[in-house]
Amino acid sequence: MFIDMHVHPTFFEPINGDETKEQLRHNALDIHLNGIAPLEHIFNQMHCAKLDKLCLLPHDYTSTGEGVIVSNDEIKTLVDMAPDRFIGFAAVDPFRKDATNELERAFGDLKLKGLKLHPSRQHFYPTDEHLEPLYEICEKYDRPVIFHSGLSWEPHTLSKYARPLEFEELAEKHPKLRICLAHFGWPWVQETSMLMVKYPNVYADTGLLYFDNAKEFFTRIFTQEIPRSWIDRSLRHQVMFGSNNPRFEQIRMAQAIEELGFRESTLELIRSGNAIEFLGGL
Amino acid sequence: MVNYSEFTMLTTKYNQLLLISDQIKKAVEESGIKNGVITVISKHTTTGITVNESLECLESDIESFLSRLIQEDYPYSHARMLKNYGSTAGNATGHIKAHITGNHCHFSILNGLIIKGDAQDVYFCEFDGPAKRTISISIVGE
Repeated sequence: MFIDMHVHPTFFEPINGDETKEQLRHNALDIHLNGIAPLEHIFNQMHCAKLDKLCLLPHDYTSTGEGVIVSNDEIKTLVDMAPDRFIGFAAVDPFRKDATNELERAFGDLKLKGLKLHPSRQHFYPTDEHLEPLYEICEKYDRPVIFHSGLSWEPHTLSKYARPLEFEELAEKHPKLRICLAHFGWPWVQETSMLMVKYPNVYADTGLLYFDNAKEFFTRIFTQEIPRSWIDRSLRHQVMFGSNNPRFEQIRMAQAIEELGFRESTLELIRSGNAIEFLGGL
Repeated sequence: MVNYSEFTMLTTKYNQLLLISDQIKKAVEESGIKNGVITVISKHTTTGITVNESLECLESDIESFLSRLIQEDYPYSHARMLKNYGSTAGNATGHIKAHITGNHCHFSILNGLIIKGDAQDVYFCEFDGPAKRTISISIVGE
């Protein structure tokens, strides 16, 4: 089993077709010239990357004035089209007046499996009081949270809100809440490692490729900036494969993670074991 | 008279040679042009169009030759974040293979038939798949 825990289905064909909305999506993510992807192409890509499942993450940027970029209902639509391949997450802008109702609906009615939040884009710190009711709902439904962490390429994002250290108080205060620092909090990967080694409820995904090619960048980050032994010995139960596709290259990243010299048992955890634990089961 | 058409296909592998001779023949038949020239052009920069003999062994040799010549594990300058895409480029090998293969082919048309040798077939070459690809066909004649 191989799961990509960080995929944005923003340009999947079944939820596109309106050119104005497509352009809004290109601008909101600052991803261009990538085309609209039929599901058959997504499945071809998964086959080449040897992936079995994708975790689909939406975007709700209501408070920034851009609106809902990909809605929870659209995620539900995609999951229903391929329930054996897609895992759906919810997104709720924490500054929406109906944020708690929407998250309850996403978990209760739409059966989505977790919450995605973007502190850099929506300009909040993880300990902002607006977030507490959402965390409580996640704990009530035993659903995890994926936070954008570290650099974001999206427009109008400020990295200070998503620096790994900012998540320590949350991890301490909510030890039963499983949280993932997406993109390994790059460039603060050692801060992310610090949190992970101390807090077992903190996970990280591998969705980072800001320089060089996948093999070069992963080698730099996961064998030099973080010694290979840190993941292979101590953090092996908290690292999940994520590509951040379509920003980054799913196939080459899936191959690169295999070539870093981790034990096979560690790779099995990174491919799927940790994701299943994080999700609370499939 | 000029007749223009396109067709699109989903490639399924990272590197893939796909025969497109039948689609080209069909385009000539549907154009109504009996005498002239046909140009087949890929609309992409990590793909190629080439003419060769349709044999499994040759397909393997061509793919193997290109892979030896243009190795994946090499520090290509193109491997970087591209601001106009908002994404990372890791497909330098595809661009260079496309540079070698070329992006088009031509044939003459006589009495409604494409003039080509018995061993000649047309391949679309995928060098950065899987992907959705479009091929353009221009037929000029009468």
